[in-house]
Amino acid sequence: MTAGEIDADELVASKVWDHSLFQRLLEFVHPHKRLFAACFTVLSLLFAAELLGTWIWRGVLDGPVLAAQEATDKGPYLHELYGWVGGYVALLAGMTVLRYHETALLNRTGQAVVHDLRVRVFQHIQRLDLRFFDGRPTGALVTRVTSDIENLSELFTSGVIVLVFDVIKVIVLLAYLFFLDVNLAWVTVLTVPLLIGVSLAFRGGARTAHREVRARLARLNGYLQEVLSGVRVVQVFRREERVSARFRDALDQYFQANKRTIFLFALFFPAMSLAVYIVQGAALWVGVKAITGQTLTYGQFFQYWLVLTMLVRPIRDLGERYNILQSAFASAERIFQVLDTRGRVHEAQHPRVPPRTSRPPHIRFEDVRFEYVPGTPVLKGVTFDIPPGRTVAVVGATGAGKSTLVNLLLRFYDVDAGRITLDGIDVREMALSELRGRFGLVLQEGFLFAGSVRDNLVMERAEVDDDALAEALATANAADLVERLEGGLEARVAERGATFSTGERQLLAIARALAGRPDLVVLDEATAAVDSATEARIEAATRRLLTGRSALVIAHRLSTIRDADEILVMHLGEIRERGTHDELLARGGLYARLHALQFEEAEVA
Amino acid sequence: MVLLWQFFQRFLRYRATLGFGLLCIPLAQLADVAVTILIGNALERARLADSSEWMNKVILWLAVYALVQGVFRFYQRWLIVVVSRQVEVGLKQDLFDKLVRLPFAFHDRSRSGDVVSRLTSDVEAVRMVLGPGLMYTLGALVIIPISLVILFQIHATLALVMVLPMFAMGLTMKLVSPRLERYSLAVQESVADISHRAQENFAGVRVVQGYRRENQQAALFESTSRINRDNQVTLGEARGVTHAAINGSFEMTFAVILLLGGMAAIDRTMPVGAIFKFIDLTIKVFWPLIAIGWVLGMLPRAQASAQRIDELMREANPIEDPDSKSGSTATSGAATIAPIQGRITFEDVSFQYPRGNRPALAHISFDVPVGSTLGIVGPTGSGKTTILNLVGRLFDTTSGRVLLDGVPVRELPLSQVRGALGYVPQDSFLFSERYEDNIRFGAEHELTDAEIDALIELAAMTEEVARFPEGKATVVGERGVTLSGGQRQRTCIARALARAPRVLILDDCLSAVDTETERQLLHSLSAAGEGRTVLVAAHRLSSVRDADQILVLSADGRPEAIGTHRDLIAAGGWYADTWERQQRRESLGIRDSLVDEGPLVPGQETTAEAEARR
Repeated sequence: MTAGEIDADELVASKVWDHSLFQRLLEFVHPHKRLFAACFTVLSLLFAAELLGTWIWRGVLDGPVLAAQEATDKGPYLHELYGWVGGYVALLAGMTVLRYHETALLNRTGQAVVHDLRVRVFQHIQRLDLRFFDGRPTGALVTRVTSDIENLSELFTSGVIVLVFDVIKVIVLLAYLFFLDVNLAWVTVLTVPLLIGVSLAFRGGARTAHREVRARLARLNGYLQEVLSGVRVVQVFRREERVSARFRDALDQYFQANKRTIFLFALFFPAMSLAVYIVQGAALWVGVKAITGQTLTYGQFFQYWLVLTMLVRPIRDLGERYNILQSAFASAERIFQVLDTRGRVHEAQHPRVPPRTSRPPHIRFEDVRFEYVPGTPVLKGVTFDIPPGRTVAVVGATGAGKSTLVNLLLRFYDVDAGRITLDGIDVREMALSELRGRFGLVLQEGFLFAGSVRDNLVMERAEVDDDALAEALATANAADLVERLEGGLEARVAERGATFSTGERQLLAIARALAGRPDLVVLDEATAAVDSATEARIEAATRRLLTGRSALVIAHRLSTIRDADEILVMHLGEIRERGTHDELLARGGLYARLHALQFEEAEVA
Repeated sequence: MVLLWQFFQRFLRYRATLGFGLLCIPLAQLADVAVTILIGNALERARLADSSEWMNKVILWLAVYALVQGVFRFYQRWLIVVVSRQVEVGLKQDLFDKLVRLPFAFHDRSRSGDVVSRLTSDVEAVRMVLGPGLMYTLGALVIIPISLVILFQIHATLALVMVLPMFAMGLTMKLVSPRLERYSLAVQESVADISHRAQENFAGVRVVQGYRRENQQAALFESTSRINRDNQVTLGEARGVTHAAINGSFEMTFAVILLLGGMAAIDRTMPVGAIFKFIDLTIKVFWPLIAIGWVLGMLPRAQASAQRIDELMREANPIEDPDSKSGSTATSGAATIAPIQGRITFEDVSFQYPRGNRPALAHISFDVPVGSTLGIVGPTGSGKTTILNLVGRLFDTTSGRVLLDGVPVRELPLSQVRGALGYVPQDSFLFSERYEDNIRFGAEHELTDAEIDALIELAAMTEEVARFPEGKATVVGERGVTLSGGQRQRTCIARALARAPRVLILDDCLSAVDTETERQLLHSLSAAGEGRTVLVAAHRLSSVRDADQILVLSADGRPEAIGTHRDLIAAGGWYADTWERQQRRESLGIRDSLVDEGPLVPGQETTAEAEARR
């Protein structure tokens, strides 16, 4: 992360409590009500047990111990003591078990909520249209699903539940003190705000100081990284000294930022203990007076002391909880930002499902204009037809707009102007999944999907039964590929597709497309070179794929181009030339030159 | 452990401050303990007394102890931790200085992530243990014995028995630790899996949507997330055991005190008020005890880190000045005096990279007279950059010699060799600083504004620089303006020219520049540097067309041919074929993928750019 990114992330939410965000988070809490209830139960029981423990101490000190002071026969008092201790030990045993559950349950609750949230965010992002992904580095999106979510889990574990409970604890304990002894209670209530004040006052400074340190550190490490990548330049230019001096400066800044943080912390701990001493001192004053005045027993004061210890802990942690909450809400805000994003490619209000006839569809691009980035048009008014059953091949240099045609046809993006029709129906009016399902699709990228070979070929299409699959494999010249695998169709495919070579993957991709018995094909030919034997098989399979179907092909193979019914030569977003292979060659224009370049070269190499 | 001690020596540089800091620890702890005793006694007295005027003194003493404790606790942290940071900074500086001077062979073979981590997380691990770790340990080692001694004097048996639960805690921790490690690792792995899956899906969203795989992929993601959740739950349960054990033993101690203390109080072998002291001191000892456990847990990591840092510090630097090596000063006497003219000779040079499995260069010989230009061309991987690396002595040859003005470079002072070179790298590396500072980087002396402008003009960048937000003072790079590939290349040329080098080395640095600009640049380069020797490695043959000699390398690093452009065209072969092909490409305006400008935003390519590139 660069320093800039860190700063931005930290600055998103300066609120420690965002009610609207919290409401939305509650939605995810709902399904796990029982877990939350369990957490509260455990925490309550622990609290009650701790309080009970302090009461036992008072019972012992004011009971057998006090009475035994003047007595001669210690026996009965010792017995009473054993009774108390027995009870205490039982209580402690119970508390130990409860403490285990406290940690385990809180953690489990947080993780449960977070899992749901994570899956939801993933699903949401996945279905957004491609434009969302443009201009957003993949890394940033991944963070939403990983570290931002993890941050949120803290909210639910050491954050909200514990914080709420801490507040309840403090209130209950203070109230209890009034039952114990009114004077002590008052003195405590008056001095405890000092403690709270120190805890909260420090918190703000600490965050700023930490942020500063992190930013300086990021800068430092960034410079280090930079110098390492350019070390050759540094050495050849003999700039070692200069670069070291720069590093020293950055180090110094980092050190200064650290000093500020250390100063704050060095101040915080003594300040807290001083505040605690003040509370204790005041209590001592009042307590001793009361003890000597016989209005307070020793045992009562002892119990008070123990309750005070219980009180101080949550207050000391207040500052830290505050920070956790803030950082968690920042993450929540980022996450909900994503969840609130809507795609631009919308499903039509009343999607139409054009019936499949015996005739392959007629595709038309009508004066289509499109730009990925405003101001940089990629398609500048493209018009062409794919008559039923015909193959249209598109060629052209990189950046000419070829793949954009595919993107628009598949509705990964919508056109800026003009329209694309399928049998006269605008593709925007069709159900998205219907549209995409209509295509026999062969994209350049190979397999992505883990699973069996069958899964990859069938792709959960209900209409692809075993016969259709077998037929497709045969037509695509890919049947033997599957047969030679152990397990055949049920064999697992390595996720990166390492089970098959590049060429073989292309054949399987064709089989996959064929399995759906499409009448429409989009083929984006891979440019990777394959051995001539596989090449021949791919050529044949491609030919069979395209026969009798309407097809848009981004072609790189000479054979594919030659066989196409029409070739569109694209250049900088426009169709420069069109015609059959022979017609274009005869014309001796752009196509002829491209042809010579690409295919003569291939022969030479 | 020895290593850690050596690193601790760095702390001793600040021994005065450190000493004071360490002294504060026992003083603070003593004050803290004193408070307990004070309060305990007061309570006991109150239990038996009738009046309380003596309380004033008690409160006064409490205030004194509280202040003393506060002051010393402040200084303890302020002094010790600051010293630890000073040591950290010093260590980082030393490591950096070392790194920057290590030969390129080291950088070539090491992964930058690994090196950076030594300077960052490893140094931090060592600092944590030796600084704050020491502080906490010392604090614990003071308060625990003092408390035990005091309590022992009050009631020996109780003091001894109450220690037992602590052992139980230590034992439990030791037993649970390896499990905690394992579960932690499992969680780390599953988190990485989630990240990986998300990355794949988002990067390949086109395929996922095109094939309508959203549901299936979502299901897969869900199961990955579920595994992570389960791992986290397991880890949480292990932590629960730890938590319960720690608190349990702590509370068991309380139970022991209740029993034995109560018995002793009933038997009147111990004053009732003493029970308070036992309880309060137990509370005060709790955190220091945890701290020791924590420090012990960090120790192995710190030792491993110390080792890694030491390794780095010990890296040898074989490419050194002949002057700094003992015993070879005699031969270098003559070479130190005369300034470099710029004649470069390769005598039957062969070279293999330390990590390579085949020679990068084999039997290369050529002679470049002062002031002439040598072009170096050949297919990818033929060794063009390697030849240039050897001229600047970034590596030493495996066999054969590289001569500068007839003297082997190994016998010349490194600073002199490099001082005479202007080097323009293949990757157009620039720093994230101001544009003009990047150019100044090349110069040996301070450059005036006019001189910088002249250099910018030479690099054909004047118009473009004028359009930057702050002209040449604009910051470039990650935090500033992003330059295109061609702009970066030209800037690197300006930087190289800034040192008025006798030898200019251009490593395939005109690839992103269009032919017109290239011609302009080469022309102004030759015009501006009379008598300057130029070595140009290039992919595009048009870059070397006007060179005095052109060396053609074969794919395996051997010399294939050498001659002028005309000679090589006439001779046919690789050069002639490639020339023709490249010429045709130019006329169609088609750019080779090697030649694209590349994404405008460095670092992460977005899907649109990956699209557009196809």
